[in-house]
Amino acid sequence: MNDDEVDRMLSRDDEILASSGFVSRVMESVRQEALVPPPIPFPWKRVVPGLAIAGLALMTLLIALAVTTVRYAGAMTARVSGPFSGPFSMPSSLFHGGIESAVTWTALALAAALLSVKLSMGFASSSV
Amino acid sequence: MSASDDQADVERVVAGDISAFEGIVRRWQTPLVNLAYRFCHDRGRSEEMAQEAFLRAYRALAQWRKDAVFSTWLFALATNVYRSELRRIPAHTVALDEVTEPADTRASDGGLEDQDRDLAIRRAVFALPPKYREAVILFYFHEMDVTSAAQSLSLPEGTVKARLFRGREILRGKLPQLLGVPRLKEAL
Repeated sequence: MNDDEVDRMLSRDDEILASSGFVSRVMESVRQEALVPPPIPFPWKRVVPGLAIAGLALMTLLIALAVTTVRYAGAMTARVSGPFSGPFSMPSSLFHGGIESAVTWTALALAAALLSVKLSMGFASSSV
Repeated sequence: MSASDDQADVERVVAGDISAFEGIVRRWQTPLVNLAYRFCHDRGRSEEMAQEAFLRAYRALAQWRKDAVFSTWLFALATNVYRSELRRIPAHTVALDEVTEPADTRASDGGLEDQDRDLAIRRAVFALPPKYREAVILFYFHEMDVTSAAQSLSLPEGTVKARLFRGREILRGKLPQLLGVPRLKEAL
């Protein structure tokens, strides 16, 4: 069986006609589709400031973490040259910072949480 | 079918005149229903699939770029709809090895009756693995034009040619057996 024979056999396929109500059914579904309001676009204008603030906060956190790590490494080096340094010794800044630094971080976290709640409520109330 | 009619209707629909879409449906209903039928071999389902294709075309009409032929765009969209639909609910197919040879239906000239032969061919095509079947269906639907078949499948021409070659090779091996014609190698 050569290619021409295969072509001839496969080319010969019955043509079917759509039923008489096909056009009206399609048009009905199209009209229904047209009645549906278009999907609400994603509110990029409102989201972008929030994303920018979140990005900034993340950057600040990373920088703070890097600074702390560098200070910790410095403190460790100083201790190595000292009389005793254990593997689990903590950075002195954490002990010296003590309650004050914990209070500062807690206050900042609370302020950030409050700000995000206020912003969310503001966006929700303005969109309704 | 005139390309300018399509373009005029598309412009009217995009401008808000929904009724202009009817012209597009009337012009393209037969090709789209037939294409769907070749994919699923079920009259009822082919109309449902074609209806879904028209609806998707209506939604995407504004995205049609006029540098492409409307029919090419429409067939590519319809082919995508049909392929996804058949992935979601596969058509009832049998493996190629399970396609049975028709029982003693030889006509007086020794060959199979035309109707039985067509049925055997359709079954054989339908039993091909999907990627070969799609290439074969679209190649013969587009009157043996590889470029159009490739555009409908959104595939490079080379890929379509390779799939077509492999699909025809499988069919060439199976068809003589299905049609009661001795294979060339066996006959020699």
